[in-house]
Amino acid sequence: MAQSTQPPEDDTGGSTDPSPAVRMENITKRFPGVVANDQVTLEVERGSVHTLLGENGAGKSTLMNVLYGLYQQEEGTVYLNGQEMDFQTPQDAIDAGVGMIHQHFMLVDTMTVAENVTLGNEPRKWNGLAYDAKRAREAVRELSDRYNFDLDPTAKVEDISVGEKQRVEILKTLYRGADVLIFDEPTAVLTPQEVEELFRIVDELTEQGKTLIFITHKLGEAMEISDDITVLRDGENVGTVDPETATRESLAELMVGREVMLDVQKDEREPGEPSLTVSDLVVESDNGVRQVDEVDLTVHEDEILGIAGVDGNGQSQLVDSIVGLEVPDEGTVELYGEDVTNISRREHIKRGMSFVPEDRQARGLVMDFDLVENALLGNQYDPSYTNGPRVDWGTTRNHAENIIDEYDVRTPNAQTASESLSGGNQQKFIVGREILRDPDVIVASHPTRGVDVGSIEFIHDQLIELRDQGKAVLLVSSKLDEVQQLSDRIAVMYEGEIIDIVDPDDVTDQDIGLLMAGEMPDSYGGDGE
Amino acid sequence: MSESRYPKPVRRFLRFFVGNSIVERILISIAALITAVIVSSLIVLVAGYLSGEAYNPLEIFAVLVNGAFGSPFDLDSARLFTEGWSPINFSMGTTLKETTLLIFAGLAVAVAFRGDLFNIGVQGQLVLGGLAAALALVWVAPFVPGGLAGTLLLIPFGLLVGAIVGGLYGAIPGALKAYTGANEVITTIMLNTIATGTAFFLVSAYFADPTLQSVKTRPIPDFARLNGVVFPQGGQFSLVALVLALLATVGVYYVLRYTSFGYDLRVSGKQAKAALYGGANAEKMVVSTMTLSGALGGIAGAMWSMMVIGAWRQGVPSIGFDGITVSVLAGNNPIGVIPASLLFGVLKGGSNAINFQLGVPPELVAVLRGMIILFIAMPEAFRMLGNWLGVKPEPAAATGGGGDE
Repeated sequence: MAQSTQPPEDDTGGSTDPSPAVRMENITKRFPGVVANDQVTLEVERGSVHTLLGENGAGKSTLMNVLYGLYQQEEGTVYLNGQEMDFQTPQDAIDAGVGMIHQHFMLVDTMTVAENVTLGNEPRKWNGLAYDAKRAREAVRELSDRYNFDLDPTAKVEDISVGEKQRVEILKTLYRGADVLIFDEPTAVLTPQEVEELFRIVDELTEQGKTLIFITHKLGEAMEISDDITVLRDGENVGTVDPETATRESLAELMVGREVMLDVQKDEREPGEPSLTVSDLVVESDNGVRQVDEVDLTVHEDEILGIAGVDGNGQSQLVDSIVGLEVPDEGTVELYGEDVTNISRREHIKRGMSFVPEDRQARGLVMDFDLVENALLGNQYDPSYTNGPRVDWGTTRNHAENIIDEYDVRTPNAQTASESLSGGNQQKFIVGREILRDPDVIVASHPTRGVDVGSIEFIHDQLIELRDQGKAVLLVSSKLDEVQQLSDRIAVMYEGEIIDIVDPDDVTDQDIGLLMAGEMPDSYGGDGE
Repeated sequence: MSESRYPKPVRRFLRFFVGNSIVERILISIAALITAVIVSSLIVLVAGYLSGEAYNPLEIFAVLVNGAFGSPFDLDSARLFTEGWSPINFSMGTTLKETTLLIFAGLAVAVAFRGDLFNIGVQGQLVLGGLAAALALVWVAPFVPGGLAGTLLLIPFGLLVGAIVGGLYGAIPGALKAYTGANEVITTIMLNTIATGTAFFLVSAYFADPTLQSVKTRPIPDFARLNGVVFPQGGQFSLVALVLALLATVGVYYVLRYTSFGYDLRVSGKQAKAALYGGANAEKMVVSTMTLSGALGGIAGAMWSMMVIGAWRQGVPSIGFDGITVSVLAGNNPIGVIPASLLFGVLKGGSNAINFQLGVPPELVAVLRGMIILFIAMPEAFRMLGNWLGVKPEPAAATGGGGDE
């Protein structure tokens, strides 16, 4: 396999071959009870970036898994460069020049970049008896230089950043000679800077003749990066559009199948009494680093306070201390004037604190449990769902069905395990459970992360509705537009500190962007609330 | 997806076991039992051929069943059933005695497993619980009127003492894990040795029966023992104990399924972070789960003292360790512990008969027993391993699972 060290030169890029790089014709793929792909036809030009856009569960990944040989289609044909293909395994697809970069990296952390890239196709020496580390390093360095990847072949994967890990994954497919690269939700795990870096690499790759297919449900990046956008809905191709002429609204409508309000509609409201007061809060990590540094915050009734900031600037630790999952090192948290800093999580719940957690699959839901059992999470000592030490499963079942009805959770029934729901529906279930608890204060941490457009709109409406009922809402999100649209006031967090609190109507994106990067914009004096 | 860290063949293999329904798991167990019988028959034939003895596998399994249930089948004549066979007999009592003890030990391990704790220490909890029950009864009995009143008072008392001491001894590794992070597998193994040594020392130094040469306490007075009810006296089995074991099973099932505490325990076992989110106190849950587990182990020990020996003596059989296998066989389901314990009981009761009646060497009988247990336990063990490694039953249909479309 040492021959594959050199990716084939792109000799098919010229005009001699008119057939598209990839053509999938009338692909149908069924799973028990679901038609994941229904007569989907997709054509991808050579050297272009083609985005597959669609909500969670629209069939994007299924289609690409057919192309990558993980699934076999029931009907339809796959052509590469005009030639009919029959992939039985991913190895067949790799041999034919198709590579896939998965959302979750498949790298060995303790091995070097070069070892990871060559894994499975290692250059050998001594008649194939030993791994030729030197040649591996050189081959990887050469590839990395050629595409401007800026990777050190000798670095251990555990020491490099997420963006770099992704580049190692890309390098892996290139090393195996991929001409068609499939990216599965590549930006989901990246910081904004890393996303820009990725887009630069995308340009580099297409310039050198590679064909790229992007799977995403994010409208903005689809429009930014693509040459063509194909929208899938309910397993069907509902149209291929040119990003030059398309608008965000028209794309969203194609995806969801109805008109979507991308802009949040909300009225001004006078904030009421302070509900949640955080003073001088400090959280230190085990090695003494201040993750939350003397934070003061007040959330009033009838108010949404947004916390903006790049992920990892202390938001998670701040939220954990507010909802009772962590005891802060210093400072106090008060609910309606009562000190709740040191009371248990259970007591917080009892006092009317709802919490939509950031990590829904680890915290918000027990993945193995069905929705009835998940409807009880957090309510298991609430007298409305229990009878002394006994759980009232009848009431709980009604409650679960209530959430499913009111929050449009798409599931066969309440007895379905939560892990078989799509991300958006899992999130809707959690939001529903937390809101129906009738809280006084709700802390929503990244409530729409990984959620599709239709559900985002719904969750936003629910949070505003809650505010309009006089509740206090603390919203944490790394999506700037979300924070701006929903919040009545925005606190910007940087390296554990709230560096400013601003009115969303008075500041520009650029100003908030600068604040999130820890810099005071020149354009305003900082009203220092 | 953490499962992608493991090689594909391993994943594919484990995947087969992970996603099965209850009915499928029962069917797999039955298929495994049949396979075990066939494979061990072959081993018996080969062993017989090599040693020059003609062992008949069919006869061996018939004797196994007969030995366990008191000869319901008539092997010597054309009639299938023995005339006048009654289920109430000495052999049946022996089988059910083992079953009863194993139900408690199996429940102890199962409860801990459901809370994601591996309590290897049931044996130690059982040893100390049994010793405490025996000593307490010997000490208290003189102050209690004899007869039925005394029995009604002392039997619950003895079991309670066993439960409390076993529970406290289970709480130790629980607290060590909760507050210092010490792995319970390590600490319970060490605590087993400590329990056995301490019990031996205490009895030989302070509590030994002066009329005996052995390390054994004074006998528990007859009215304070779990004596044969319905089943013949001297059979070391009391139907009352079996009824209590069945009630305990239902009780554990009820606690896990229908109480807030059981909900917290199960969530803690499945997803610790979700349990914290839902308001459970992680440290308390670990300690209380281990205490409950230890209490069940302690009751097993008390029953051994009060029903089997009528005292406490050194050399407690490895009921606590067998409880681990029972729990695995049962898929950590309390109700499943009953058939799993019965299977163990039958194998124990019947294998002696094979040795006595057919002259099959005890080593070979042990191999047969081991084969059967191994075959039935492996699918469940692979299922647990798969779950533990995070292997998912089938690849998801689409991003985030497309089951909602």
